[in-house]
Amino acid sequence: MLNWFSSVVRLINGEQEIGRSRGFWICAFAVAVGLIVLPRFVSAYALLNYSYIISMVFLALGLCLIWGFAGILSLGQAAFLGLAGYAYGVVGINLSQSGTTYLALIAGLMVPTLFAAVLSYVMFYARVKGVYVAIMMLVVTLLFETFLNQTAGPQWHIGVASLGGNNGLGRFSGAIHEPPSITLGLGSRLIEFSGQSVAFYYLEVGLLIAIYLCLRALVNSRFGLILAAIREDGARVESFGYDVRAIQLVVFCLGAALAALSGILYVSWGNFITPSVFGVTNNILPVIWVAVGGRKSLTATVISTVVLTWLSQRFAIQGEYAFVVMGALLVVVMMLRPEGLITSFGGRKTSASPPLSPGSSHDGR
Amino acid sequence: MMGGDREAILQITSLRKSFGGVRAVDGVDLVLGCGELCCIIGPNGAGKSTLFQLLSGQILPTTGKIVFDGKDVTFAHPFERARSGIAVKVQSLGIFQDLTVDHNLRIPLMRRLSPREMPKAIDDLLRQVGLQGLNSVNARELSHGQKQWLALGMALAMRPKLLLLDEPTAGMSSEETRLTTEIIRASNAQGSAVVVIEHDMAFVRELRAPVIVLHLGRIFFRGTFSEVEENEEVRHLYLGTRNRFKSSDLPTR
Repeated sequence: MLNWFSSVVRLINGEQEIGRSRGFWICAFAVAVGLIVLPRFVSAYALLNYSYIISMVFLALGLCLIWGFAGILSLGQAAFLGLAGYAYGVVGINLSQSGTTYLALIAGLMVPTLFAAVLSYVMFYARVKGVYVAIMMLVVTLLFETFLNQTAGPQWHIGVASLGGNNGLGRFSGAIHEPPSITLGLGSRLIEFSGQSVAFYYLEVGLLIAIYLCLRALVNSRFGLILAAIREDGARVESFGYDVRAIQLVVFCLGAALAALSGILYVSWGNFITPSVFGVTNNILPVIWVAVGGRKSLTATVISTVVLTWLSQRFAIQGEYAFVVMGALLVVVMMLRPEGLITSFGGRKTSASPPLSPGSSHDGR
Repeated sequence: MMGGDREAILQITSLRKSFGGVRAVDGVDLVLGCGELCCIIGPNGAGKSTLFQLLSGQILPTTGKIVFDGKDVTFAHPFERARSGIAVKVQSLGIFQDLTVDHNLRIPLMRRLSPREMPKAIDDLLRQVGLQGLNSVNARELSHGQKQWLALGMALAMRPKLLLLDEPTAGMSSEETRLTTEIIRASNAQGSAVVVIEHDMAFVRELRAPVIVLHLGRIFFRGTFSEVEENEEVRHLYLGTRNRFKSSDLPTR
């Protein structure tokens, strides 16, 4: 039991990720405690904003995984976010009598993930590479936006959920139904996680901590090592007997599932979704969050997504300067710190250290 | 000479590869027995590297057939060839510079070993290629020769039936070349058949293996190294007494 525990700890604290010192974990624990007590100290409106910010972190983590760790840049992650939002919304609206939203959650996760599986099969088995994957994804997401924008007519409905054209699903579309909040439970004991509620915020914080730790373990696992190798030289990895296409497909689906989680949280947070979620800004912003923090680190991605989304909201109050500022930030960081701000200052593992025996990797840097 | 009494591990039959109008490999026939060692040499543009890539599966032939270990692998994917027992060491190093030496070796080893067996296997391999104690050094920090040995170690980690080496001593000093020769001989003694594609004649001499001379995509001559050296035509062709082959004396790339 203890043995098992220590190997999990070693996996989470492996060297493919920054933040491995005692000091880091003390800070991380403090941040977790801070997140838990936060609702006592802020207004309901501020909490609503923080819930939105956290919901976007999963989208960024998905991009960090496929781009930073596996070397696949996608400019269309919002396709999975939007698809998840619509799938969750459509199923949720149709099954609103059932009380719980389990089926909507499953649809919201499965539809984008299966779509990603089909798409990545086509791309990776046809040897589409590099910038072409990025562009194909952007085209895919814009196609969704264009298609959904023209679904205003009454003929565009799935069950009782009318797709609503550019008004989307929700109270603005004139339809009676809006996507439900996440509702879990059994029989009459139901918990509704409405977007304004503290429960929704805690659900997100719990998911964030769990997924962050799982992803750390993943990137330090054997699978993560193969990803790092593929990022550097996929052809060479193949020459050792690995089917790189299949590995890329799996990691691409994982990235899509994380984007889908953001999509579900987003639509159940605001109880609406419009085709604009598929748009250019939603696809480029995650790239900025991940690149500015440091694409090769989950920790950097979480921090920079939270900080930059928070900053965007501040700037948004002054007018539409936020995107200009974000774009300028990306350009400056890429010129001065191409590996990202947090990873360059946070001390990526250095290699000048003396040889250590394998396993004695618990040095704090 | 080759593939005579032993069971053949590799059979190449009238292999051709054209790039546009150029026939880079133009009808090569070759049989290699289990555990045999052979060197393929030739001047620049002889088709050595194309032949290597046809064998490793990075490119596919126009016509012809490659049978490895009784299986037709002519159009097999590189990872399928690797799984059936072909290990390659490409010319461009082919190590993962972002990873430590230890992690580099884990990548080929993970396919056949459990995590428990890993540390010992890694140490054994490092000793075999003369990199002992460098487990947690970043591959980027190694010297050029050490990088080449690491790449060789990664190929050996697969316990291949056939080891394909493209210019394994490129850029090495003569002392490093000698050590590389020993590593290759040792792995050959352990049962791997080895095909070395080479430009450096000193190294070929040291390896004392049967030699195939490739010229304009065809097998021009086969024999021992001394036979190759004594053959007037090969000397003219390869050693550059004809002006148009002069550049071939220089190391490629």
